[in-house]
Amino acid sequence: MKPAPFAYHAPETLPEAITLLQRFESDGVDAKILAGGQSLMPMLAMRVARPEVLVDLRRLRSLDYIRAEGGTLTIGAMTPKRAAEQSALVRETQPLFHAATELVGHVGVRNRGTVGGSFAHADPASEYPAVALVLDMELKAVGPAGERTIPAADFFVTYMTTSLEATEVLTEVRLPAWTRGTGWAIQEMARRQGDLALAGVAATLRLVRGACTGVRLAAFGVNATAVRLRAAEELLEGQRPEAANFARAAAAGAGNLEEPMSCVHASSEYRRQLVEVLAKRCLAEAASRAV
Amino acid sequence: MARGVLKLPEDLPVSVPRFVGKEVTRLEDPGLVTGTAEFIDNLSLAGMLHCAILRSPHPHARILRIDTSAAEAMDGVAAVLTGEDLRRWCNPAVTAPEGWGSYSMAVDKVRFVGEPVAAVAACNRYLAEDALEQIRVEYEPLPCVPDAHAATTPGASLVFEEKGSNVIQSRVYDWGEVDRMFAEADHVVSNTFRWNRVGANPTETFGCICQWDLTGNALTCHGSYQVPRFMALGRSATLRLPANRIRIIAQPMGGGFGGKGGPRGTDIAALLSRKAEGRPVKYIEDRIEYLLAGGGQSWDRHYEAALAVRADGTITGLKVKLLDDQGAGAEGYGTISAAKPLAAFTGCYRIEAARYDLTLVATNRAPTYPFRGYGPPPHYFVLESLVDMAARKLGMDPAELRRRNYIRPEQFPYVVPSGNEYDSGQYEVVLDKALALADYAKLRAEQARARAAGRLIGIGVVSTVEPGVFDWNCYATVGVPGVGVPEGVKVAVDILGNVTVAVGFNLQGQGQFTVAAQVAADYLGVDMHAVRVATAASDVALPHFGQGGSRLGVSVTGAVLGACRKLEVLFCRVVAHLMQTTPEQVELMDGRLRLKANPAVGMTLAEVAGTMLARSDLLPPDVEPCPEANYVWTAPGRTAPDEQGRCKSYLTAANATHLVMVEVDRETGQTSILGYWIVDDCGTRLNPATVDGQIEGGVAQGVGAALFEEYVYGESAQPLVTTFVDYLIPTIGEVPSSRKAVVVTPSPVSPLGAKGTGEGAIHTTPAAIMCAINDALSPLGIEVRETPASPRRLWQLLQQVA
Amino acid sequence: MTDKQRVCVTVNGRRYERWVEPRLTLVDFLRHELHLGGTHVGCEHGICGLCTVLIDGRSGRSCLTLAVQVDGAEVTTIESLRDPSTGALHPIQQAFVDAHGLQCGFCTPGFIMTTVELLRENPDPSDEEIKRALDGNLCRCTGYQSILASVRLAARRLREGREA
Ligand SMILES: Cc1cc2nc3c(=O)[nH]c(=O)nc-3n(C[C@H](O)[C@H](O)[C@H](O)COP(=O)(O)OP(=O)(O)OC[C@H]3O[C@@H](n4cnc5c(N)ncnc54)[C@H](O)[C@@H]3O)c2cc1C
Ligand code: FES
Ligand code: FES
Repeated sequence: MKPAPFAYHAPETLPEAITLLQRFESDGVDAKILAGGQSLMPMLAMRVARPEVLVDLRRLRSLDYIRAEGGTLTIGAMTPKRAAEQSALVRETQPLFHAATELVGHVGVRNRGTVGGSFAHADPASEYPAVALVLDMELKAVGPAGERTIPAADFFVTYMTTSLEATEVLTEVRLPAWTRGTGWAIQEMARRQGDLALAGVAATLRLVRGACTGVRLAAFGVNATAVRLRAAEELLEGQRPEAANFARAAAAGAGNLEEPMSCVHASSEYRRQLVEVLAKRCLAEAASRAV
Repeated sequence: MARGVLKLPEDLPVSVPRFVGKEVTRLEDPGLVTGTAEFIDNLSLAGMLHCAILRSPHPHARILRIDTSAAEAMDGVAAVLTGEDLRRWCNPAVTAPEGWGSYSMAVDKVRFVGEPVAAVAACNRYLAEDALEQIRVEYEPLPCVPDAHAATTPGASLVFEEKGSNVIQSRVYDWGEVDRMFAEADHVVSNTFRWNRVGANPTETFGCICQWDLTGNALTCHGSYQVPRFMALGRSATLRLPANRIRIIAQPMGGGFGGKGGPRGTDIAALLSRKAEGRPVKYIEDRIEYLLAGGGQSWDRHYEAALAVRADGTITGLKVKLLDDQGAGAEGYGTISAAKPLAAFTGCYRIEAARYDLTLVATNRAPTYPFRGYGPPPHYFVLESLVDMAARKLGMDPAELRRRNYIRPEQFPYVVPSGNEYDSGQYEVVLDKALALADYAKLRAEQARARAAGRLIGIGVVSTVEPGVFDWNCYATVGVPGVGVPEGVKVAVDILGNVTVAVGFNLQGQGQFTVAAQVAADYLGVDMHAVRVATAASDVALPHFGQGGSRLGVSVTGAVLGACRKLEVLFCRVVAHLMQTTPEQVELMDGRLRLKANPAVGMTLAEVAGTMLARSDLLPPDVEPCPEANYVWTAPGRTAPDEQGRCKSYLTAANATHLVMVEVDRETGQTSILGYWIVDDCGTRLNPATVDGQIEGGVAQGVGAALFEEYVYGESAQPLVTTFVDYLIPTIGEVPSSRKAVVVTPSPVSPLGAKGTGEGAIHTTPAAIMCAINDALSPLGIEVRETPASPRRLWQLLQQVA
Repeated sequence: MTDKQRVCVTVNGRRYERWVEPRLTLVDFLRHELHLGGTHVGCEHGICGLCTVLIDGRSGRSCLTLAVQVDGAEVTTIESLRDPSTGALHPIQQAFVDAHGLQCGFCTPGFIMTTVELLRENPDPSDEEIKRALDGNLCRCTGYQSILASVRLAARRLREGREA
């Protein structure tokens, strides 16, 4: 199980990286960005990914940071997940993102795997895209035409596909200011501790005068991308935080899902069921955290 | 003078045994924790090439053409092998029953996905894999046999055309008056069960380095070989070399559990070496190869089974009908695992009569191989599930129903209907200790409360017998005749008194080097760490088998004791000669050969050995200058089977009760293990820490089989589980910490009273967990009879009552 | 160009310079170029954790890392733990021996390297924390109970050693 041959570049600067990507693009050379390698390397080893060139971003130290910019928390794409996990700033200001980070794989995977890599990889079973939808995160990319900011809702296109151009580098993920008092939860069903989830749900909501408001709910591991459970959100908006309401909302959310994927571990119907159960449980947990 | 058979550690010639029975740290560990042990992939020979194997993407297809020219032309490629070379040079694998083996590389047709079709030897593995991509193979797909039921359907495609059928073996064993027992029973509990394929998956895959000596026409293979001598015999048959020209050198292994595989890989690497002018060729199976086509698939079974029970709970009869999917042939001796339950067919119970209706079929799934426990884990899942079902039917507590049917201590030695004789046991004592350890009554009360609150909590209490010290005898019924499995060692003392034990096997994890050293050290009265244990190559080693069938701890103990006894006799003669007395007046005690009448007068081992090696003038005339002794142990009193497979087969019968409490999440179907308790009786514990390790490891594999692991095949025999992403070995997060207690009933027939103990936990854990789950589900009137009880499977079942 | 690339890397305190194919994995580099065979391979696709080493002090899977990626980095493997002058085992290694935290030992270097990082960051971990830290390492032999005990023992000894 050894990768097919490829050429390798590790540019020193972001502009250099983009120039390289641009050159390969115009020469018709299949180039791929390498970040932490935690998703790309197995694909290379199995020869299911066979790029001609790898452009390794490891020297772009300037993309390794966690900063508060006003209320917004910004994380450089090359920041190891483990750094986000161990950052007090992340834990205190973005509890949902922090909890999601802890659910990703294992220590060694989080040490090597980058925050940006998970977004760029767009694995439908990853926690991050769902959290991005729930939190209205933004993704910053730099390409030959300069910089652009992409709302999470427009970023994830389909299975392992984003709206990034082949010549663009994801440079930063941005988390809008956390509204105080927001309740949150993320739950997933994975076969083993640290496995990618069969299905999962992330949620936020606030309680205003005893009623749920600003309900945000997204599922991962079920469709080609993470999906908002809008039917559930709408049903619960303005309702009291009660078990029956959570159950009704969850059922509506799961019921409205596009046909979920199927694999040896979970059929389509089972995934739909998991979304319903996890949504119900997440809503209750989020409500219990809301003040 | 020498003593007779040592029944207990106390019989050793030391004042107090210092090592046997103690929790000693293992000899093998320093090399392992530092990463210096020489596993096969750490070995490298001059001029070595690296092999990669092209494997079939089809479950069943005719090979029309193979074009290897582009691969051969690549720089760095030394040899390319195809089925044509095998047709020319080799024989198909020898199997039991005969004639169900393929060549080590497909000739004319492929029979399963992953079967080797071509191979390359190149200067490194990366390049070898590049070269595989240059090989063109044209296939003509054939209709396939996707599973066991399809195999016996009229008009089914044939996996081995020349056999005229896909049935490898079909026979009925009848023991006692089964029909009468069922006719007279007050209750008959019957059901179907399905055990899906699981497998060994040691963390190290198979690997070897083979070198063909073109001038001497001989072959040397280093590798992760579990059973070196058998590997040599098998290679001799397939490679058409005299067995004494095949030298198998076993490297330390990263686990084996029966499923190490290796025959095909060894043949392929050997033939590549032959084609590459005798350069050594290394083949390291990668994980995907292992999962697809290594030794890692076992037990693909469909059961129909029934229990005859009297109103008072006495179980009188057992019928088991097994349809066993062996995969594409019998090369992995999966047939033996279907016959293994004969050694303990009726478990711990006094069941008078039994029937085993066995049909082994070939399909286009990967061939099956042994896995720890061989056959009993699925068999006990069936038997113990039936016992629980009977308890529910009778409204009896499952622990009490078991108690009522146990073989009682005074009934040993006890002959089970399937013929084997159990040596000893105290099943009720073990059960009671388990119930007390877990506080069973309290657990039941807790369960009742939880049930009232709508939670699905269940308890499994399962007892099993572990036949220990594997012997062939009953396997004559599947075509592997023989009585006795030799295990030989040489014990040598050098001129300075250092002791070396030479064995025929290498490390695999169970700590047998340490056991050998413990026994030798206590017998000869030296420090355990002064004993060196070394592996001899298969061509010079004494007859041996190695790990397998819970035998090696006991066998190696017997062999070391035997060799030490011979040394003792020899040394007594030498000392008697030197001291001008008779050997009867000399004894070995605490490492000295001393005069019985005057213990202060004596000689150390080093002095005796030194005299023997350096002062031939002082020796008795007929004593060779050789302070060494060989001993080849085999289990005493074994017998050949009658026509119903009945014989004295496995020497010892260990026993355990596992108690487990689980909760099933009604909404997701997920099972959590809330508590796990084990009481185990494997006789004398030569190294208690090692025994605990065997149990804990077996529990983990049992948890895997019951809840996680499964080789899934698609409708056209396509394997769907081919990576560690999908073959779910439990992590530290899934395996429960168990609480344990011990009962010790020494075996009256084995050396030092030890019983085989490598497999008991995997016999018991899957059954215990499945029974607990069904106990949890019982208020809903549903039960799961298929392994693993994965969340998806349980959820589907729960849907029936939603 | 898939030409060889230069890698300058410090492994266990020693500097190495090698020219390697870009596709060479770090674990193959360590094992077959530098002949440091203590780091084992169990899956080559990131699941088993056997190949765990420390890269700039942090645990990572050397099968999911290319040799070229550690150019300029410091890599620490199991071979570094034993005291080079006395040959004495590292306290974590000794704890694995004493608490029987291994059987075949093939997974052990990976577990030990993961434990080195864990106990550096958290000298007194709870069982839950140990389990969380080690859930990326598979062991097929032990059932993990003795590994848990080994890590607890190592933690205790290291703490006592620090206090002493
Ligand atoms: C055992 C294991 C368990 C795992 N469990 C989980 C889990 O539970 N949840 C989860 O979410 N993930 C899981 N992962 C995946 C892991 O989180 C990866 O780190 C992540 O998916 C990819 O990040 P990376 O930095 O390793 O990216 P790489 O593997 O290097 O790259 C992944 C893809 O993203 C592209 N890419 C990376 N960075 C950029 C960038 N800055 N700009 C543009 N494109 C880029 C690459 O070209 C590539 O296509 C697991 C991985 C393993 C091995
Ligand atoms: S070999 Fe690297 S994780 Fe398995
Ligand atoms: S000790 Fe064998 S795999 Fe862990």
